[in-house]
Amino acid sequence: MSQSRAAVNPCSMCMPLGSVLVFRGIDGCMPLFHGSQGCSTYMRLYLAHHFRESVDIASSALSEKAAVYGGAANLKKGLKNVIKGYSPKAIGLSTTCLAETIGDDVVRTVREFLEEEPDCRSITIIPVSTPSYADSHEEGYSAALLATVKALAERSKPNRKLNLVVGTMISPAEVRYLKRLLGDWAAEFILLPDISRTFDAPISADPPRIPAGGTTLEEIRDTANSLASITVGAWANHRAAGEYLEKEFSVPHYPLPLPIGLKFTDMLMGRIEEITGLHMPEAYEQERGCLLDAIVDAHKLLADVRTAVYGDSEMVLGLLNFMMELGIRPLVAATGGLSKAFEKLAKEIAPEAVVLAGVDFSDIDGEIAAQEIELMVGPFTGRQIARARKIPLLRVGFPNHDRFGASRQSLLGYQGAAGLVDDLANTLLEERERSSERSP
Amino acid sequence: MIVSIFEGREGHIQEKGASPLPLACSNESLAGAVSQRACVYSGARVVLNPLTDALHLVHGPIGCAAYTWDIRGSYTSGPRLYKNSFSTDMKELDVIFGGEKKLEKTIRELYAEHHPPAIFVYSTCIVGVIGDDLQAVCKAATEELGIPVIPVRSEGFRGNKNEGYKAACNALFQLIGSRDYAAKSPYTLNLLGEYNVAGDLWKVKPYFEELGIEVIASLTGDGRVEDIRRAHLAGLNLVQCAGSMTYLARKLEEKYGIPYRRISFFGLGDMSSALRTTAEFFGSAEMSAKAEEIIERERSRVGPEIERIRQRVKSRKAAIYMGGAAKAVSLVRAFQELGIEVVIIGTQTGDRDDYQKISYIVREGTVIIDDANPLELAELLERQDADLLVAGVKERFMAYKLGIAFCDFNHDRTSEFEGFDGMVNFAREVDVSINSPVWKLPLLRKSPLEKGVEEFSGGDDVSEPCCG
Repeated sequence: MSQSRAAVNPCSMCMPLGSVLVFRGIDGCMPLFHGSQGCSTYMRLYLAHHFRESVDIASSALSEKAAVYGGAANLKKGLKNVIKGYSPKAIGLSTTCLAETIGDDVVRTVREFLEEEPDCRSITIIPVSTPSYADSHEEGYSAALLATVKALAERSKPNRKLNLVVGTMISPAEVRYLKRLLGDWAAEFILLPDISRTFDAPISADPPRIPAGGTTLEEIRDTANSLASITVGAWANHRAAGEYLEKEFSVPHYPLPLPIGLKFTDMLMGRIEEITGLHMPEAYEQERGCLLDAIVDAHKLLADVRTAVYGDSEMVLGLLNFMMELGIRPLVAATGGLSKAFEKLAKEIAPEAVVLAGVDFSDIDGEIAAQEIELMVGPFTGRQIARARKIPLLRVGFPNHDRFGASRQSLLGYQGAAGLVDDLANTLLEERERSSERSP
Repeated sequence: MIVSIFEGREGHIQEKGASPLPLACSNESLAGAVSQRACVYSGARVVLNPLTDALHLVHGPIGCAAYTWDIRGSYTSGPRLYKNSFSTDMKELDVIFGGEKKLEKTIRELYAEHHPPAIFVYSTCIVGVIGDDLQAVCKAATEELGIPVIPVRSEGFRGNKNEGYKAACNALFQLIGSRDYAAKSPYTLNLLGEYNVAGDLWKVKPYFEELGIEVIASLTGDGRVEDIRRAHLAGLNLVQCAGSMTYLARKLEEKYGIPYRRISFFGLGDMSSALRTTAEFFGSAEMSAKAEEIIERERSRVGPEIERIRQRVKSRKAAIYMGGAAKAVSLVRAFQELGIEVVIIGTQTGDRDDYQKISYIVREGTVIIDDANPLELAELLERQDADLLVAGVKERFMAYKLGIAFCDFNHDRTSEFEGFDGMVNFAREVDVSINSPVWKLPLLRKSPLEKGVEEFSGGDDVSEPCCG
């Protein structure tokens, strides 16, 4: 652990940021932060850097007066203006440190607002408590997901559908992959939240104010009537939404890891087969064979490479497992959020690795030095360490501010894994070529 | 009404020539309107963070520190401490029981690890609410450690970015005047509101040295604590980013009798004026002659390239949306040098004087907007038929989605825009985006199966380009 109590170069972000990833995955939903103007502006900037998309997040723009007398009036005004400006179908209302610390009762304010504004009652408002001091962006995501399901899921007629809940932040390309997979399977499904188009929007003649796409409110309501729920990215935590549907509506829930690498993808495929009674489509058997081929091709190059993996907890667990399959030696596994479950699972997957949870990059740097790491795999935030220590860095996951293609990166499924093998191998090869550039 | 999306925003948007009343400005952002503004903390952070060898400690939750980690593209010629993010990472218990003890301990430990020449401690929203006494903690730490530990009053909700600039200036003011120094030249100055984004400072400082002037301190681009401590010994303060640093310049004039001049290093004309103003201030005929020589030499050096680009971009239409007004005004003049017409101009935090100045220099028909939001900007860009938007990252992708060229004039740019060479870089960036072939790509593919299409043309039949 760090010598000081300070957080030096954070490996996580704050809760409201995670909530935006969920709310932007709902059709016609506009995120609104109850807090000071800076929170929404900072997170808009942070997300725009990563996705290379314009990200509108409204704010109740609390001022000094509101901090003293309460922010209800500002919040009501904010809701009204968001409705006027964006004509949303839903509003994802996340609190911030300020709103929580001054003790604003957001749920009551929303109730009052709907009483005062009958015209606005058709709009679903989803409040969620997300103060930065409580937890990381990963937990903010989970909280918003649970709040969404709680606000909307509603029993009606059984629908024979499979709920595919995305339990942790993945890329638009990864959501597209999952949708195509289930489409090819001819399985009826509801995927929540769906950021495949909202964070990777095409250029169009008349861009809508809220980007098109996302899980519809109708679909979310219908999650209560599905055959079963699978939550991917729920190996350590992030199970609350699926568990809620199980408890309230008896929809069986199967938490799974993110399908990264062979075994974790096999687990997802097997579970879908069990639930749907349909075999995995032949094309994916082919993909699986090709992945094995790619792994075999690269096994000698990747053998025993001393590697550090860091970033969001579920991604790290998936990468760790895949590295063990590849014969890579993951020696450092780190995540920014505090999670006992992560620590335990990471240790099980990679017994040799030093596992760190609730850490910052100064902690990670210390272990990278101690373990004589040769390859780093994680978000761009590790770049200062990589540069200072001259270690090649393969950028994966969130955030990625200094390279193109974050929206198109996919680590999932047999296909994503094969691409990852190539990227790992090529990153090492480039480094070797660079460091062996001497005259013969 | 030019754009009517939100009630209460009417007064903040005007067309020059059509609206007689002064533009509404300098008030709180409208809730729910997605203002492009940030907070007090953000203002303080952008001003102080380029101080390269100081330790910047955020007293607050992790988010505020995460989003400002190495975010400003200010370059350094040496120390790299400022590229780290330090925070007290306040948790629920700190909010309940107070964070002073944690802060004390953090300061002590960080000092032992890094031995910085000064520590700035930024307060965030919750610190303001729970009432931690930063003043007292910092005072005690200063005594204990023997270095300045300076509180920055930057609780996010206390106003907008302008309040943050003031908080930063107050912190700098505390530092100034605490060192003695014998200048090497009779002519000395400080550069205020110069942040060395992309290395701007290094395109400008050599000209002053050529004039025989010693630059005592740069505030704060590529800055050093030692230099700032002796900034009170300078004969002149040149204020570039007026919005953020005029306040400090006034305080320095009041306390130390240092006069200040507002200048800009952006654009050929403004850069030339900056050199002339400076030489004139020192009243040396020799220096004035030298300034003219530099101006003549540099303008004839870059002139042909600027002229070449001017031919490629002239009569196109630009929109400007900046944080502060000084940069916006300078941009209008630079666009004039390129023959580009400004059709929209706006700022996040301009005041009444700023908008008067802006109104004076733009043409009739130009739309002036205060504290804009994405919906208004998008509508205005179409209404005014802009070819190019100059702004920051938040606005970049909106412009692209609308098929409009973009030039980043904020923290994220990676080429210098100041000085004579900087103007060439700027002109090239404008040219590269405005005249890119990407805007002519067909937005819709023509299918050979469509009615009326007799022969398959392979899709090279451009009917509806991406950008009108």
